[in-house]
Amino acid sequence: MFLAIREIKHNKLHYGLIIGMVALIGYLMFMLVGLMLGLANENTAAIKSWDTQTVYLNKDANENLSQSLISKQQAGKMNSHEALVGTVPVVLRKTSGHEAKQSIQFMGLSKSQYIYRNKLKITEGRKPTKAHEIVLDESLKDKGYKVGSHVKLNSQSTTYRVVGFVKDAQLNIASLAIGSLSTWQELKGTSNQFVASGILSDRSLSASHHRQLARYSVNQFIQKLPGYSAQNVTFEFMIGFLMVISLIVIAVFLYILTMQKLPEYAVLRAQGIPVKTLVWGTLAEAIILMVAGVVIGLVLTFGTSLAIPAAVPMLIKWPLTLLIGCSLVILGTIGALLPVRIITKIDPVDAI
Amino acid sequence: MATIELKDVNRSFGKGVGQVQALTAINFQAEPGELTLILGPSGSGKSTFLTIAGGLRRPSSGQVFIDGQDISNLSSRELDQLRLNKIGFVLQSYNLLPYLTVAEQFQLVDRVRPKGNLSPQELDQLLQELDIDQLKNQYPDQLSGGQNQRVAVARALYTNPAILLADEPTAALDSVRGAAVGREFKMLAKKKHKTVLVVTHDLRLKEYADRIFEINDGKIKQTK
Repeated sequence: MFLAIREIKHNKLHYGLIIGMVALIGYLMFMLVGLMLGLANENTAAIKSWDTQTVYLNKDANENLSQSLISKQQAGKMNSHEALVGTVPVVLRKTSGHEAKQSIQFMGLSKSQYIYRNKLKITEGRKPTKAHEIVLDESLKDKGYKVGSHVKLNSQSTTYRVVGFVKDAQLNIASLAIGSLSTWQELKGTSNQFVASGILSDRSLSASHHRQLARYSVNQFIQKLPGYSAQNVTFEFMIGFLMVISLIVIAVFLYILTMQKLPEYAVLRAQGIPVKTLVWGTLAEAIILMVAGVVIGLVLTFGTSLAIPAAVPMLIKWPLTLLIGCSLVILGTIGALLPVRIITKIDPVDAI
Repeated sequence: MATIELKDVNRSFGKGVGQVQALTAINFQAEPGELTLILGPSGSGKSTFLTIAGGLRRPSSGQVFIDGQDISNLSSRELDQLRLNKIGFVLQSYNLLPYLTVAEQFQLVDRVRPKGNLSPQELDQLLQELDIDQLKNQYPDQLSGGQNQRVAVARALYTNPAILLADEPTAALDSVRGAAVGREFKMLAKKKHKTVLVVTHDLRLKEYADRIFEINDGKIKQTK
């Protein structure tokens, strides 16, 4: 540590550039993780915030909630931990003003079931109680919607009144408008034969509970959301590659620096300075460079998370971000093992 | 008792027809309180001699004694300790770490050898004797060649070694500074009772030497 700190202090520009590069790599990784989580959250916020454990869909719906329709007979008998949900894509527009139309998902719920009663996180206003009342995901506030706004869904003549806003009401990268199941039936254009798109439960239930429906765990359901897996795998690859690149960058920099210092190290070895002092100095140097770079990357990420517009789907989960930061430090230290190997092979005779 | 003793030392490099005999049947002793000069042209084997006498390299055959201890069979780690504790090296270049101040060069030694080094008062006295006591907070690149060399001498003496080995210590110095280094080495041998062994081609140092050896084609001969 003694050698590492003094060398870095003495060659501020030299090491500042390396720290800057690590900081930029870290910043890019943290932002990508934030975007990955943000997009994932927009896919799953509603499902997760309602503590969903089990999903039942029509067996022919190809695991897609929007494509699923279930009849009263298929739904059968339901317990207090199950709720019917009906989803349909709709276009939301205000009856007055010139705000842009919004493509969203409408979700119909039953007032007597657990999601409506216990899980909706109303942040403003109240829950819908009448047929033509809806609540909106709170992200739609930024689009000009307010409690009391009158809106239309698709080209229907019916006017709906916004009575509140809900937190985490997003599914498959679309904001939700939540109303009654009868409204869902109107929007979906189905007869009374179909009561919902699917059944959600906050308990882990077996397939035998609804024998006529297909049963999915929440993870199976989320993985099958359109585009969800492809999007996450893409981000995971990018983050993985960046981790490998950061390892290579630090290894190359430290390798070059070590090669330049070999004559000095040979003299130290000739003077009897143990090899472990030089090895620890190099590892400490790598750790200091990586920690400094990661901390700067974290500060930049924090600043960005405060300044970034709400429309950008970024979600910073600090425990995960810190874990990735620690992984970067560990990878950088592993990268330092290449120059360490060279140091262990220095022959003190080279000093003469 | 001789602090450095080489008995029938041979050293060769390579094998078969490409084998080169760098040192042949070297018998040598260096005593405390003496400045011994090893002279010889380039390629004569004097650097090989220094590396063997300094415990940096093992002989192909023969025995090397430092302070009465046979070092021929010591492990690398034991040789590190021997060099750290008993031998001070002054080399032609790269003696000092460029990113440590003069004071920090000594602190580095304290970290690997916490006990047995010069006390702060003794170090101050040594730096005064070498006329570098005002340079403690300077980096090597802020010092002249002569000042750098004197700091290197102080660094070599900081562990209070019995032996000071110098390899071409005046190579980068002008005649005035070269003579000053010769006087310093003489002073260290006489006043501090060190065994000072200098390998050089610089004939200007002859006048300070107690004994002079010449190496030619790997064979050593005493000339003074």
